[in-house]
Amino acid sequence: MTTATLRRWFVVHKWTSLACTLFLLIVCVTGLPMLFSEQIWDAFVGDDDPPYEVLPPGTPNASLDEIVGKARALYPEQIVTNVAPDDDEPAVLVSMAPSWQALKDDDKFPDRHSGHWIKFDARTAKVLKQSPPVDAPKAPRTWTAAILGTCTRLHMNLFAGLPGALFMGAMGGVFVASLVSGTVLYGRFMKRLPFGSVRRDRAARLAWLDLHNLLGAATLVWALVVGFTGLVNELQTPLFGLWRVTDVRQILKPYAHLPVPAQDHLSPVQAAFDTARRAVPGNAVTSLAFPGAPFGSPVHYVLWTRGATPLRARLFTPVLVDARTGNLTGAYPMPWYLRFLEISRPLHFGDYGGMPLRILWALLDVMVIVVLVSGLVLWAGKRKVATDARLRALGYDLDDGDQAPVSALAEGAR
Amino acid sequence: MNAFPPAQALSGRRPAVAVWPWPIALGLLTVFGLLSALLGQHGIWLALSWAALSLPLIVTVICLVRAWSRPSDKGGRS
Repeated sequence: MTTATLRRWFVVHKWTSLACTLFLLIVCVTGLPMLFSEQIWDAFVGDDDPPYEVLPPGTPNASLDEIVGKARALYPEQIVTNVAPDDDEPAVLVSMAPSWQALKDDDKFPDRHSGHWIKFDARTAKVLKQSPPVDAPKAPRTWTAAILGTCTRLHMNLFAGLPGALFMGAMGGVFVASLVSGTVLYGRFMKRLPFGSVRRDRAARLAWLDLHNLLGAATLVWALVVGFTGLVNELQTPLFGLWRVTDVRQILKPYAHLPVPAQDHLSPVQAAFDTARRAVPGNAVTSLAFPGAPFGSPVHYVLWTRGATPLRARLFTPVLVDARTGNLTGAYPMPWYLRFLEISRPLHFGDYGGMPLRILWALLDVMVIVVLVSGLVLWAGKRKVATDARLRALGYDLDDGDQAPVSALAEGAR
Repeated sequence: MNAFPPAQALSGRRPAVAVWPWPIALGLLTVFGLLSALLGQHGIWLALSWAALSLPLIVTVICLVRAWSRPSDKGGRS
């Protein structure tokens, strides 16, 4: 490796690392509680929902039409906006609102929420729970919710919405660059050192360097994968926006000007679920939005289906069912960039291999934190050491061919 | 892992070593671990994934334990 190249790699590693270390530390630390959020939630909060009735196994589910009918009977003046069977529990969540316009207008008032929900037992169609009324005193926010909420928002966007998300995405890219340049330097630094050496018996700085190299090498691929998939995740808003203005707009164009039909004249909801299931075999239908929903069609049920395997669990395929006739209009697999995004998610979240995988994720995360901290220590310590002493401490020979690159390194580090 | 004849180590000039076999092995294990749980979904593939992803951690711990358990090893033996 020539002097100039080595110097360039060193400068790249130093500056990319310095740029992203603080944010990477934030992400690594806040990621830990997020990894176990379900368990933390269950342990400290739980839910106060009434327990499910014990029914013989294999009890069939009630028709969704019955459930929707009951919801409508409870609030005859309102519209149904969404029907979502629960993934894990025998429950169906029905969302309602005074009107689509009322929901839209909520954006203008920070504290107004016109929508509300009713939770039904999927098998008996009995009401289990309803969202608290709008005028009910707000339950005090629990510590768990506050901590998990803060972590999630810091992790995703530093409380700065879309600009924050894009910034964190950029930091993910810088992190990947830092990993790549670090790998190049690793090859140079470890030339005469067996893998895994930690030189504790000499300058403290060497022990930090060796620790940085060892942990960096052990976590390299994991950090690359999680860093890159994190970057992809931060792009979700623009990517979904792109899809919305391209494919979705094309699909919905012929219907865009139609009026939203009254809800008592729509085709049955259960039949729409069955139609969607047949349209995308192997997928589970996770929700149905009624005609008129934002970003939807005025005359279609939009049903979201998703794959049943971990790889495809976040691969959503929307299905349009004409709500006037009940006929299938089509299933629309997502474009490649959104499929890529959806496949990136499990690889970022580490939630696809049970508790042991989560624990491994956490341990690898802690190791990355050590790599970040040791990198900072090396950077801070280096500034105090005179060049020559540093070169000797690094164990380089000053009297042979190593000299040129090493002094280049010293230059670059200045 | 780091067996050097003392004389050579003390001379200050270390012989060149193969840098990449260990990092590549650990990297391949990580890739295998990440994908086997994702594609295999259950049973043996999950267990293999846990094992494969544990190995980089175990190797790191072994290296650290070795380094810290030989504090008097002055000079070369890293």
